[in-house]
Amino acid sequence: MDFSFSEREEAFRREVREFLAANNPNRGGGAAARGEGEDDLESAMDRLPKLLAWNQALVEKGWVGFHWPREVGGGGGGLIEQMILKQESGKARAPMLGLSYMGLAWVGPGIIKYGTEQQKRRFIPAILEAREHWCTGYSEPGSGSDLASLRCSAVRDGDHYVISGQKTWTSLAMWSQWMILLVRTDPAAPKHRGITCLLVPMDAAGVEVRPIKAMNGETPFAEVFFNDVRVPVENRLGAEGQGWDVTKHALANERSSIAEVTAMVNHLDDLERLAKKCKSNGRAAIEDPLVRQRLARMKTMVEAMRLTGLRFLTKQLRGDEIGAETSVNKLLRAELEVEIGRLALDIEGRYGALVKGSPGAIDNGKWQRQALTWPSYVIGGGTPNIQRNVIAERLLGLPHDV
Amino acid sequence: MDFGFSADQEQLRAQVRRFLDSECPMDRVRQIMAAKEPHDRGLWSKIAELGWPALTIAEPYGGLGLAWEDLVVIAEEMGRSLFPSPLLAGAVAARVIAQMGSEGQQARWLPQAASGDLIATLAVLEESDDLSAAGVQLVAETNGEQVLLSGRKMFVAHAQAADLLLVAAREHGGVSLFAVPAHAAGVTVTPLRLIDRSQRAAMVALEAVAVDHADRIGAPGAAWPDLAGAMDAGTVALAAEMVGAADAALRLAVEYAKVRKQFGQPIGRFQGVKHRLAEILVDIESSRSLVYFASWAVDHQQDPRAAVSMAKAYASQALDRAGEEGIQVHGAIGFTWECDAHLYYKHGRYCRNLGGSPEYHHERLLVAQGL
Repeated sequence: MDFSFSEREEAFRREVREFLAANNPNRGGGAAARGEGEDDLESAMDRLPKLLAWNQALVEKGWVGFHWPREVGGGGGGLIEQMILKQESGKARAPMLGLSYMGLAWVGPGIIKYGTEQQKRRFIPAILEAREHWCTGYSEPGSGSDLASLRCSAVRDGDHYVISGQKTWTSLAMWSQWMILLVRTDPAAPKHRGITCLLVPMDAAGVEVRPIKAMNGETPFAEVFFNDVRVPVENRLGAEGQGWDVTKHALANERSSIAEVTAMVNHLDDLERLAKKCKSNGRAAIEDPLVRQRLARMKTMVEAMRLTGLRFLTKQLRGDEIGAETSVNKLLRAELEVEIGRLALDIEGRYGALVKGSPGAIDNGKWQRQALTWPSYVIGGGTPNIQRNVIAERLLGLPHDV
Repeated sequence: MDFGFSADQEQLRAQVRRFLDSECPMDRVRQIMAAKEPHDRGLWSKIAELGWPALTIAEPYGGLGLAWEDLVVIAEEMGRSLFPSPLLAGAVAARVIAQMGSEGQQARWLPQAASGDLIATLAVLEESDDLSAAGVQLVAETNGEQVLLSGRKMFVAHAQAADLLLVAAREHGGVSLFAVPAHAAGVTVTPLRLIDRSQRAAMVALEAVAVDHADRIGAPGAAWPDLAGAMDAGTVALAAEMVGAADAALRLAVEYAKVRKQFGQPIGRFQGVKHRLAEILVDIESSRSLVYFASWAVDHQQDPRAAVSMAKAYASQALDRAGEEGIQVHGAIGFTWECDAHLYYKHGRYCRNLGGSPEYHHERLLVAQGL
């Protein structure tokens, strides 16, 4: 075991810190930097010009798509440098390392692995430069955890596919120019094999987006209807019937959970600050033994997540694949998300009921928003019960339940 | 940055595993549990030949000079087998001697500890069950050329097998440490009956036991910081053992869930069973990460308290759940004497408060972080 960094890695860390000091739009205070109020969608929109400048500065460094191959315009960076970059930008509470969120998280990696040369040239630069945003058409009203049962169909008509059906819970659908879409192209094939992946322009005729309001009052996702939408065959990603593999590969990206851990560490720092400033029954919450127990337990879980992530990273550095074991950290994160919101509101006491804009609201309602938003992190991308199935079946060898 | 074991360490793990599988399977463990002997001398001499007691002792004193993370590899496998042995207690005592002892003291005890000819153990905790320095109240009284030790120690690990006791005593307003032969006049070792029979501990009474000043390890009244540091290393080894035991309990339950059929199918197909088993694996993998890191931290960090406390607290959670669920998955057979499930459960109940409860360590974590 060795937890030190090489001279070259330390030099890279200094370079990242200097870059952040000069370019991080959250630098020098502000509510987000102080951890007192998080960016909601509205304020993110207000700050768009600043965010685009941030993206551009990152692109010039080659730090958007940090680990993507240089041939496609990525940074060609190593895993350890990537970790350093994520840690430092997280610590500095900088915005994400690139604004085209889903484009960077799984669309880009999918295109790099399965796309044609033409598709790479067409889509990758726009993702890196945040000119185009992507949404993801996976879930359907009848296909959630059992994603492979999806029914939205595409029928070949000459050099086009004709799509009809519905997707739902499609995050950011109303702001996206493109969708990565899973459709059924062969109803007769076994369910995982009859699926194909298409890249669909959201302004295509017959695409209808109906926003859905979430329990936190925001409108982050939508239903998307496809009424005989025609998409050229060259917009297919991978072969016909290969859609499931494309998806699995794409979702397997970014597995060491470093970014999530950094976010959790920031949450806990903020929670600590909250516990110091909030009083209940005449003393600071941080002096309450029960609060201390809960806080310590969360710190322990976050540290476990961090270290387990480093074990995964080490495996990757040694050239081994990582797979189902990443569900371990996903379950920890799910538990943490719920407990962080609960503890924050407990620490605030009666003030825990006050949301953004209310007289007396603490941290501008940040923790209330967290307490109302965690389900999207916990449910999206595989519910905890699905993660438990993955662990039980693939890591413990227990029988499949269906 | 490399957070994994080396090829040598993996080889050590495989060697330990092979040895324990062949020399100390569960029926052998049960024999040792039922036996009256303080420990199994046959197995002790075999592991001494393999160099386990020598592992973390420096090479000049006949040791192998390896790190605490290497010992943790052995500890985890010991836990998997519930291997009853004074090995870890001896390793902590040797660490104390190496860190606090004079050259003469090291030369006197470490080579024998490395060869397995001398078993040493720490005697720190007293009836107050207070883990802080204030818990040390045993009296050290200077009497000319000698020091007289009087008082009573509780929960002394493997005292019945020990040749040498490292006894913490109050002196000059602080804590001193003395090496006391276990068979010295005035020392009475009374075995405790433990909920976990794979372990051994004793009450040790000292009645005006005379030792020389040369038997004092470290400066008078100033032993506590180093002693506490060594006990932390012991806590990490214990946590590693607990992780191994938790994993064994989980595997036992998983294998049973695969073959036991009810309602026409293996019970491991029911989510009520499989999800709980999955959560135990999450606890185990999380504790592993914390324990491995803590084993590195005790050798490399100035103040490893936070890392140690997190490891111990989480390992308790893992073993608690593995032990409890391990019984429940087995149904009624799970609480028979014959089924091994209760052995892990009992080990968990014993280890939970050994070296500090999860709640103790949670509090200590915040204090260590300045909160």
